[in-house]
Amino acid sequence: MNEEIDETEFYHQDFTTASEWEIFCARLEEIIHQWKVDDLKTEDLNVTSTQGQWSIKEEKLQFVDVEFVLSYFKNISAIEQRKGVDDDDDTKKYRHPMETLHDYGLHDGSSSGLECPLATWYGLDQFITLNFGSFTSSITSESQIKLLLSSVQLAISNTNCSNPIFVQIREKWQNCYLGVYEDEQVRTNFEMIHLRKVPQHCQYLTGLLDLFKTKIMSPINLDPINVSVQLTYYLNEFGKFTWNQDLPDVDSEHFDMETSVFGLPFGVTQDPVSEIVLKTTWSHLPDHLIVDSENYSDFDPMQAPKWSTYCKMSDQPLCLLSEVLSDALNAINTKSSIYEILGDFVASSDYNIENPLDLLTEPKLPTLSTVIKRAARNSLSRSSRSTAPLAEEILVPILYFLFPDADEETSFPYNLGKDKGNEDHMGSETRRLIDNECRGFKTCKENSLPYRLAIVFIQALGILGGARAAAHLWFEFVQEMRFRWEKSVLILGIPTGFPDPRTCLLNQKLQMLNCCIERKRARETRETDACVEKFADTNSSTDEEEFYDCTSDRVEEEENRRRTKHSLWNQPVGRLGKFENLKLIKLGDPLYIPITQEPVPKTEDQLQEDTDILLQLGSDAQGSELRAKMMSASLLSDMESFKAANPGSILDDFIRWYSPRDFIEEDTLDQWGQKKGHLSARMLIADNPWVQMWESAKPVPANRQKRLFDDTREAEKVLHFLDSRTLSQVVEMLFPILSHAAICRLYDECEQVTPALPSAHKSLQQAIRLVQKISRDGTITERLCAALIQQIAALELSVSQANSLLYKFNPSGGCDETVFVFTEKLLHGCEVEIEGASKSNIGNKLTSMFTEAQRLANLILTEHGNLVENNSSVNFIFPQANEREFVMRVSAVRPAPYSKKSPQFLRAILSKNEFRFAGAFSEDIVYF
Amino acid sequence: MVFTGDVKFQKDAADQNFDYMFKLLIIGNSSVGKTSFLFRYADDSFTSAFVSTVGIDFKVKTVFRHDKRVKLQIWDTAGQERYRTITTAYYRGAMGFILMYDITNEESFNSVQDWVTQIKTYSWDNAQVILVGNKCDMEDERVISFERGKQLAEQLGVEFFETSAKENVNVKAVFERLVDIICDKMSDSLDADPTLGSAGIMPTRLTNAPQGAQAANCNC
Repeated sequence: MNEEIDETEFYHQDFTTASEWEIFCARLEEIIHQWKVDDLKTEDLNVTSTQGQWSIKEEKLQFVDVEFVLSYFKNISAIEQRKGVDDDDDTKKYRHPMETLHDYGLHDGSSSGLECPLATWYGLDQFITLNFGSFTSSITSESQIKLLLSSVQLAISNTNCSNPIFVQIREKWQNCYLGVYEDEQVRTNFEMIHLRKVPQHCQYLTGLLDLFKTKIMSPINLDPINVSVQLTYYLNEFGKFTWNQDLPDVDSEHFDMETSVFGLPFGVTQDPVSEIVLKTTWSHLPDHLIVDSENYSDFDPMQAPKWSTYCKMSDQPLCLLSEVLSDALNAINTKSSIYEILGDFVASSDYNIENPLDLLTEPKLPTLSTVIKRAARNSLSRSSRSTAPLAEEILVPILYFLFPDADEETSFPYNLGKDKGNEDHMGSETRRLIDNECRGFKTCKENSLPYRLAIVFIQALGILGGARAAAHLWFEFVQEMRFRWEKSVLILGIPTGFPDPRTCLLNQKLQMLNCCIERKRARETRETDACVEKFADTNSSTDEEEFYDCTSDRVEEEENRRRTKHSLWNQPVGRLGKFENLKLIKLGDPLYIPITQEPVPKTEDQLQEDTDILLQLGSDAQGSELRAKMMSASLLSDMESFKAANPGSILDDFIRWYSPRDFIEEDTLDQWGQKKGHLSARMLIADNPWVQMWESAKPVPANRQKRLFDDTREAEKVLHFLDSRTLSQVVEMLFPILSHAAICRLYDECEQVTPALPSAHKSLQQAIRLVQKISRDGTITERLCAALIQQIAALELSVSQANSLLYKFNPSGGCDETVFVFTEKLLHGCEVEIEGASKSNIGNKLTSMFTEAQRLANLILTEHGNLVENNSSVNFIFPQANEREFVMRVSAVRPAPYSKKSPQFLRAILSKNEFRFAGAFSEDIVYF
Repeated sequence: MVFTGDVKFQKDAADQNFDYMFKLLIIGNSSVGKTSFLFRYADDSFTSAFVSTVGIDFKVKTVFRHDKRVKLQIWDTAGQERYRTITTAYYRGAMGFILMYDITNEESFNSVQDWVTQIKTYSWDNAQVILVGNKCDMEDERVISFERGKQLAEQLGVEFFETSAKENVNVKAVFERLVDIICDKMSDSLDADPTLGSAGIMPTRLTNAPQGAQAANCNC
């Protein structure tokens, strides 16, 4: 009525004389009627709790200007279950809503659980609540409460509502309700008392039973009262069962570089499990068999038939691994260059000028250990100017870790691509699996130089001194790279060969530098060899082909013959070997494969530049021609080498070697006994690039040609690239590698807790997919990285929680399936029933944990209160229960002796600072 | 994944006159007809003899697929052994490969496995491959039967066509099919990854696209 205002009708006035209260009641009834109709249709809001699937409906209504929310709760699964039973009976039995006999609900960790505690307190399956809206904080006035209750009463009788309706009263946080239920025979009043302190006479069951009996005031003798008891214990002091991890502290004496710097940290800084809650339960006992009073109690938790437990996790503990990644991500915003960060530490010192004599005095191929000595000495000499961000005792071990070839007794050798047979079987199997998972990463090999660099760099950024320390490390790294290039020392820990486009840019750059160093070394060896030869034998005829061919007489004859044939300026040079048994078409000399220039290695950024240039030429014929010209450098070089090795050769000879399918053989033989042939049609096209190039090619052997690959220039490019990175660029390059390392670490950790955390694998897969994307993107997208960090943090936390729980319940590390299942459920925040209660394995563990907690509590007492440790107190495994809950039920005739039996119910919840009675008392409304 | 990254990048780099850009490569032994095949598709022309490709060349063709302009950047490579190192460098970022052999040349067929290895080594794992047996007009000189080609393709888990650049048989079909499977793969990887979908790089339309273009796919 007041809600459904038609939009077209902008002026609306209620001309009826209904009072505000009547409007409220009518609206109440309207909603209840609507829900009755809706019940036949599908549900809208579903919540799953430990008691099953709940359907919840909500409707807002107003009383004058106060907003109320009417909610309808219905446990679908319980009703379905009951329906099944009813159908079997085939008769519609009368059923009071209090007859469910639910005593204790299980704790539900998920936040989406049922928020209304009434279901647990009364064990109801269906009920309606009238709560005040969010703008009202309390309803305390007696008359207001009565008015609301009357409205509800009215609504129940007017709508024949078969569900109890509750009205929320008092302060909101008190969760206090009054309620009423009515059918043809019985009315039940739901009453609640909520106090801060437990009244003295209600402390024990005996008193509570008396109270219950008094309240019922049965006109005849009462049946035995059905009692259920639950005692709850909180365990939050774990003593020796605390699962702990220490934060690495650089200043401490036991600072271990190997564990804290050379690997990524993992885990949380405090025990992720903050509390274990144990509930011991006795169900449905008759009241005359049990005693629970101030002096004696039958309820010994060790004897309880049912134990159940759940645990509370610490809020947001610091996760070390994900923290490291966040630190890295934050550092991306530091735009200063490495030199700016280092400031005067490097400003006035250019390493090259600092000690120019070194270049002369040090041997050309230094022993490996000089590499490190230099680095160490360098940082020493500098320390006079300003303190080094990384102290020498930290820096040197790191450099040894990165460049293990400098240390003869290194414990961190690189064994990339080597057989992993010497590792233990399990370990290598895991490594293989990780390798397989990580194959889609565009990073680098696990435990290669960039991988180690990423780890120590981020550790420098995190625990060794922040941006300055990290910048210092990078500076030293670049210095080392330059040193290795200058001294022609290969960089270890980098896969050999050309830059691999499947790896990250840093890895490619280092591979490139290695290629340069290799070429330089080869060049230098060649030069020294040449020199030596010159000095040793000045008049020897150094015919290069003698290196490659056996000097049999026959060959020598041939050589002599040919030497006379070719003029002095046209001697064959740069031969690699004969090409099958082919002969030059014109001369009949053997066709030699020339020594060619080696292919040109390129990193992906260079390739991208090349591609861009090619693309800019456009896709028309002209562009095509230009492209062919640009691409022809290696073809020309090959042709020149070929001409040098095969004087007197023609294009046909070249094509036979270079592109055999373009030389079409015929069946007839030529004068040299080989098949005749001709060039293919496409090679015969007039002025095609192949012909043009052949004509312009001069006979020059590869080693005298212009180098296709200038190692000096390329190496300088790489070094400049490394040297000119800003801190943020360095982090950007290292981040994917770091993520890779984090995945490896996570994988190892997950592997250990898989039985208790089967879901770990799936979330690990998601993280792996993210890393794949991040590593291939080229630039760092903060959104993706943040998602990855979140994913890793969540997984890290679960793994730590699993570790902590396994440490508590399975300290021996045994393969106990029940413990794993138990842990898994605890991890999901569920309350788990312990089969076998205190006698079970898990029960034992819990008992010893409580014993430990008691022991600690007693110790504290002894220390502070000078109390002698009471030996007998050790026998008390459990402290005073933190929470006690009693449920009493009975069927009683009320109010008259001839009335029908109706359910009576009282629940008492007693805890340290809260006391609650939830009662439901019924009476016959037909016979009274 | 790589796809989306590249699509975005390329779009910034080149002209804006398209919705997506795919980089495709034609590879295979020397003189199996790669250049002819590309010219037939891009220019609808055929000459009995094209100059042997020096290094690498490319052509561009824009096609429509479900109302989207897809720009194909098709790289034509030299098949000679000596060019391997140069051409494999361009495999990176390619979304599709047309691996070609010559049905009149046994050797080119035997090399298919090598080429597949090259693709596996130098390209990303989600690149799509179609095996093509070219020169199917030269029935008289055929040495590789359709069945052998088909069988090899099945073994490699790729699709297979026999084509003729000269007679214009199946040339268009190969490219259309390749574009289709690349699109399918793209939408698959998006479906599998909820985080990507939210980025809104890809329109959902592609995901739900009907497989109309498959009708053109006939393995003659």
